Amino acid sequence: MIVAEQKPLDEIRRMIAPYEKILILGCGTCMTVCGAGGEREVSLLHSALCVAQARDGDGTQSFLEYTVKRQCDFEFLDVLVDRVKEVDAILSLGCGVGVQTIAEHFPDTPVLPGVNTTFMGAAKEWGVWDERCAACGDCRLAETAGICPITRCVKGILNGPCAGSKNGKCEVNKDMDCAWILIYERLERLGQLEKMRRYYPPRNFRTIPRPRRIVSKAAVNLGGNDG
Amino acid sequence: MYPAGIDVFRNYDSSAVKKASFDHTLMPPCQAACPLHMEIREYVDLIAQGRVMEALQVIRDGNPFPSICAYVCTHPCEEVCRRGQVDKPIAIRALKRFAVEFGGDRMIRPEAETTHEERIAIVGSGPAGLSAAYYLRKLGYPVTIFEACSELGGMLRVGIPKYRLPREILDIEVQRLIQMEIEIRTSTPVISLDLLFKMSYKAVFVTVGAHQGLRLGIEGEESPGVVDGATFLREVNLGLKPSIGERVAVVGGGNAAIDAARTALRLGAREVKILYRRSRGEMPAEPSEVEQAIEEGVEILFLVTPTKIERGDGQLGLTCIRMELGEWDASGRRRPAPIKGSEFQMDFDTLITAIGQSPQIPDDFHLRIGRGSTIRVDPITLTTNREGIFAGGDAVTGPATVVQALATGRQAAFRIDEYLQHRYPLVGKDEREALTGDLLPKTIELIRRLNRIEPPILSPQERAKEFEPVELVYDWESAINEARRCLRCGMGAEILFQDKCATCLTCLRVCPYHVPYLDDSGTIQIPADQCQACGICVAECPAKAIVLRKPQDRRHIDEELNHVLKSAAQSKFKPLIIGFCCQYGLYGTGALASLWRKAKAGIWIAPVLCVAKIETEHILRAFQIGAEGVFIAGCGQEQCAREDTAFWALQRVEKARKILQQIGLEPQRLQAFNLYPSDEDPANALDEFTEQIGELYLASAIKQEVKT
Repeated sequence: MIVAEQKPLDEIRRMIAPYEKILILGCGTCMTVCGAGGEREVSLLHSALCVAQARDGDGTQSFLEYTVKRQCDFEFLDVLVDRVKEVDAILSLGCGVGVQTIAEHFPDTPVLPGVNTTFMGAAKEWGVWDERCAACGDCRLAETAGICPITRCVKGILNGPCAGSKNGKCEVNKDMDCAWILIYERLERLGQLEKMRRYYPPRNFRTIPRPRRIVSKAAVNLGGNDG
Repeated sequence: MYPAGIDVFRNYDSSAVKKASFDHTLMPPCQAACPLHMEIREYVDLIAQGRVMEALQVIRDGNPFPSICAYVCTHPCEEVCRRGQVDKPIAIRALKRFAVEFGGDRMIRPEAETTHEERIAIVGSGPAGLSAAYYLRKLGYPVTIFEACSELGGMLRVGIPKYRLPREILDIEVQRLIQMEIEIRTSTPVISLDLLFKMSYKAVFVTVGAHQGLRLGIEGEESPGVVDGATFLREVNLGLKPSIGERVAVVGGGNAAIDAARTALRLGAREVKILYRRSRGEMPAEPSEVEQAIEEGVEILFLVTPTKIERGDGQLGLTCIRMELGEWDASGRRRPAPIKGSEFQMDFDTLITAIGQSPQIPDDFHLRIGRGSTIRVDPITLTTNREGIFAGGDAVTGPATVVQALATGRQAAFRIDEYLQHRYPLVGKDEREALTGDLLPKTIELIRRLNRIEPPILSPQERAKEFEPVELVYDWESAINEARRCLRCGMGAEILFQDKCATCLTCLRVCPYHVPYLDDSGTIQIPADQCQACGICVAECPAKAIVLRKPQDRRHIDEELNHVLKSAAQSKFKPLIIGFCCQYGLYGTGALASLWRKAKAGIWIAPVLCVAKIETEHILRAFQIGAEGVFIAGCGQEQCAREDTAFWALQRVEKARKILQQIGLEPQRLQAFNLYPSDEDPANALDEFTEQIGELYLASAIKQEVKT
């Protein structure tokens, strides 16, 4: 799931400063799960902005709030049409994908990001999130016992551990596990240590041509013969 | 400042608001078990908040004579109380007594207006009759009570000993009925019901009770010195002092037997033995009464029954036989059978037989009589074989409890009303879904054990001498602590907006009782029979999909904040400080109220029911409506009856502080008091806090001036 954190209030206030009427828009999927932009955060931000404005004593901004099921699919955004007409800008608490979908869908209204989309990860426990995937497009998890060295090793090396591994921890951060030690231990447990002995040639480190696109629908010719 | 945009459901359209304002609470087992279906959970909760007068109001709404029930109710509610699965049930009856005494029940004067012409006669003034009279009068009918005895009360007066129900309590209730202009005719036995109709009564409710003692059916039962329990208690309760000698035997194992034994003790008997043919486990008498009787010196011989009584030189020779328990019978108890050759002899001065009672219905009533000489009625409409005649109470059921009689009386009142107004009986309306299912062992393990606090009772030596009430009333603190043990069954959290749930698992992770779970289809379920209604998941759910089942719980804090906003606007005290104070325990019982009256600043209290229900948003809203400082005061982790509440309250305080800092407000404007057990007096801490806020307020005021 996509994990994000809310931008500092200062930054948000600077972003919205030019606008009078702002729609704070939450997202009911990833941003709700990671606690950065669900309905609760939307109304909390609303309250925080109101308090901040009241404290400065010169505010004239007003806010609307709404949370859609998912900002990254434009069908969900149709319910917003009337609300968007009323406002000067949309402050989206969706991830970067959501913000861009909104921008495409509402070409005449400025969209501002309320969160910093940070990584793809999983919850370790309540309130703690860890990065797990870099979306490199070339998955090697079968060879590394289901532990991704690209994401979890600071250096992202494919043949580890490096000399900086000490007592199972990384030289960069002593609280962080060395991903390659974790890989070794898990391979040992699975009885697949021979995978450690192999040399993995370097991945294709050429810049990924962006934006990527996946097309799953087939090009079907409706006219004429299928064969 | 800002227009008060305080509306919990500002995201939703009106249909969602409607959905959210719906009462989804389930009927708790205590209420389901109570014949009167009293709102026990509600009044216990009010007592826990120290709101005794409101608690009494709730009690009075469901019970015509709460003070009587407070003394003598057999509390079937306590048997089914789910707290009993954890440790011991809530002392519901004792709490009711507390509410009745401290809430000022004596001062309440019920009023009634006559809105109907049809006169109704009530034959018999036991609890069922009095209850029917009360409700019929409330419905606006002229009511007359006919009582054969010289005083009202039926079994309440002649059956229940004074040490269990002080007569002044009964007199107060009778007095109230007189104030409600109910006509009372004592010493007026009704011989014929036809006569009543001739006297222009339109409906008759027959509640003559069951006063006829059952006979043992053994040789020598006619001897002088043998008396049945009902007669014995009646004589004593009407002020006679029958001479019973020094050695008294009571046969039977019900409440009447225990009452007779304890009464005999108070009349001066030195040796009182109860003979019961089964063992203690099968005894129908109230266990605490049995306990108290034994403490007072009553001896109970189990598995013993008399077979013959011989009268000789002033005393009774009793031949008894030992019994053993055999097969299970229809009553769910094991049938006792005599052991051959185990006869033995005992001597007594008096033998009291208390093995049961049956009604005695005059033949001239022309009512159809069923099993055990009881009147046969339709169980729903309470109608008899004769038109316009209804019956209820012990005369219909055989000996039962006071609360059952009160319930029948109420039922009769409504049925008679329907009969007279030619309406179809409204049966089983607005019945809520009942909470079923026991607590799971894993939930029980996580619920904090809290000792049941019993009300003080007189020492056995003191009480065995006279007819003073045995049980005393709770003091304030014990009552509140006892009431706080309530598990608030059926009031828990539910996912009201399933479509909003992102299945983020927050509820599952934060619940201190591990109640929410993922079902096989990957949906979160919060089983109502396990939830402890602490409200933590409600305040944490990032999608705001979870609510508490009771609508008041959902809106409570927002409403209180609105209230503060309105009152604070008129206040000249500055700076404004808003305190969220838990109403349970210390902060709810006036300790804090006296504090804030003294304070110089304008301190406004938003009462909350447990700090775990305060959301970060609530704190921010307090600042939004202009508070210079905000504090949260609640029980520490140790005092709260629920788990983790202080932890979560502090989590939210921290979150709010971070936001305040970003806004440019000093984080010390927000304080939490006594969330951790400390030796510090909350009063001092609060004083310091108000001073600090005062300084900050001045500082910011100066800043403002400089700016302008």
